[in-house]
Amino acid sequence: MNNIIETHNLSKVYNPDTIPVNAVNGVDLQVEEGEFTALVGPSGSGKTTLLNLIGGLDYPTGGSVKIDGAEITKMSENKLIDFRLNNIGFVFQAYNLIPVLTASENVEFVMLMQKKPKREREQHAKDLLKEVGLSDKLDSRPTELSGGQQQRVAVARALASKPRFILADEPTANLDSKSTENLLEIMAKLNKEDKMTFIFSTHDQRVIDKAHRVVTLVDGKIVSDTKQ
Amino acid sequence: MRSIVVIAAVAIGLFAGMFMMAFFMGFVNQEIDAAVETTLSHVQIHNPAFPDDKGVSFTIDNGLAIVDQLRKDINVKAVSGRVITSAMISSSSTAAGVEVHGIVPADEKNISDISQDMSEGVYFTEGKKNEIVIGKKLAEKLGVRLHSKIVLTFQSKSGDLTAGSFRIAGIFRSRNSGFDESTVFTRFDDLALLLGTGTSMHEIAVLLKDGKMAGPVANELKHLYPTLLIQTWQELSPEIALITGIFDQLMYIIIGIILLALMFGIINTMLMAVLERQREFGMLMAIGMNKRRVFFMVLMESVMLTCAGIPPGILLTIGTVEYLAKHGIDLSSFSKALSQFGFSNIVYPQLQTNMFLPITVMTGITAILSAIYPAIKALQFKPAEAIRKI
Repeated sequence: MNNIIETHNLSKVYNPDTIPVNAVNGVDLQVEEGEFTALVGPSGSGKTTLLNLIGGLDYPTGGSVKIDGAEITKMSENKLIDFRLNNIGFVFQAYNLIPVLTASENVEFVMLMQKKPKREREQHAKDLLKEVGLSDKLDSRPTELSGGQQQRVAVARALASKPRFILADEPTANLDSKSTENLLEIMAKLNKEDKMTFIFSTHDQRVIDKAHRVVTLVDGKIVSDTKQ
Repeated sequence: MRSIVVIAAVAIGLFAGMFMMAFFMGFVNQEIDAAVETTLSHVQIHNPAFPDDKGVSFTIDNGLAIVDQLRKDINVKAVSGRVITSAMISSSSTAAGVEVHGIVPADEKNISDISQDMSEGVYFTEGKKNEIVIGKKLAEKLGVRLHSKIVLTFQSKSGDLTAGSFRIAGIFRSRNSGFDESTVFTRFDDLALLLGTGTSMHEIAVLLKDGKMAGPVANELKHLYPTLLIQTWQELSPEIALITGIFDQLMYIIIGIILLALMFGIINTMLMAVLERQREFGMLMAIGMNKRRVFFMVLMESVMLTCAGIPPGILLTIGTVEYLAKHGIDLSSFSKALSQFGFSNIVYPQLQTNMFLPITVMTGITAILSAIYPAIKALQFKPAEAIRKI
């Protein structure tokens, strides 16, 4: 299998000039295509920072991140935005849907930025929402959906750009157990059937139990990396 | 709610700008009309030497023929010939210096609105000789009342000191207290007899159907009567032309201030809108919205809110100005200061359709410029941080 993500000696220091905080400290991580990986660790261990660095949402203070061999840490900000648009899907803890758009429009939005034709956008959004079990909620706005449903729309949105992998930061943190179960099933199905690569940070044992690989971080360093 | 604030700010800004223009336009045009209709008329004809020292002998000798000729001109609405002299007016208690206008009441009524400003008595009685019409302020100064007798003393054409006794037929009160204090009216024949000027005139006032024709008509008259002094109202009263210019500049300064206030209002609201949606912007940038799109999104939001604010602003202006054009704006709390300068207490704003485009364009440009700073602010968000903002 090919490494889809490679980090080499990756570091991120916050407040380097005042009180330095080593959020990520010399992380070497390889993720293969089709993996279902959980980043775990206590609060402040660097999970979110590592996800941000892998997703190109932040620049490291040392080391490198390569996606499919392309070193994103050397890309300009504008190039990185385009790279994210076409290669990385994001699922956030607080769903972060656009409140004035319907579920379908939220999913279409990413494809709109990719300048895909209207008909293709509509059809693809419809297919994706069907895949996450929301075919009856196409025209609902986020406020009309439950937390679990909103997070499923967020997953559909993350898939809309046909990314190489999806980064999910604590995707179940705001969900009840039934919604968590439901979401995990969808993500596992996408991983199994579509070979979609998932990396998520989590505290949730149910999520950890579903993961194929668990990477544990403490003080910005990988302390264990196990496959299950 | 935020959008409503921006829409309301644009509508009120547009209304304020257009209303100020309508107010000043009404104010200035009213003053021009008042000056023209009180004394000036649109064009005046004099002996070239008369305006300098107002000497009695500097008359227009063929005045009657000129008046008759002017009455046939299609541009002319009314003509009035006047004899004018400086005089001492005396009551039993005191005296004052005045300018006496000898007029033909029937002609003067068509050219001046003094006949409509009578507060007491009448604007001359048919067939009665030696009547005089004076201003309220002068009457108070002289301590005289309606039907009181007063004496006018002046120099005749032959250079002799002449006096005539007149009875007050009417007292007027125009909105220019300075004019009321310094100008009196007698019949043309009564004054001409005392002055010894016969049918000669000192002044021919011409009221046109369209004030904008003053220049062309004056040029035509200059050609016809090259030995006479022909002047338009602008030449006769440069202070009014100056006031028009000053008000034009003042209007643009006030509109500029209003637009500046509008600009800060929009900057403040849009900045709040951007900061409140920091997480939304963070998410948009995270999922791949580039900086150009973020910038234009904020700009477009401002433009669309502006577009939504323009129609209510225009409707509000039309409604308000239409109402005030009928009922007027009462500035009587400033009446003393205004009347000293000859300004009316009531201003009737005037709306002109050619105001809409420049003010709307200026408001639109202001709104777009106001959105630039908030848009730049949005570009400075770092997605990793912005996305975690509550």
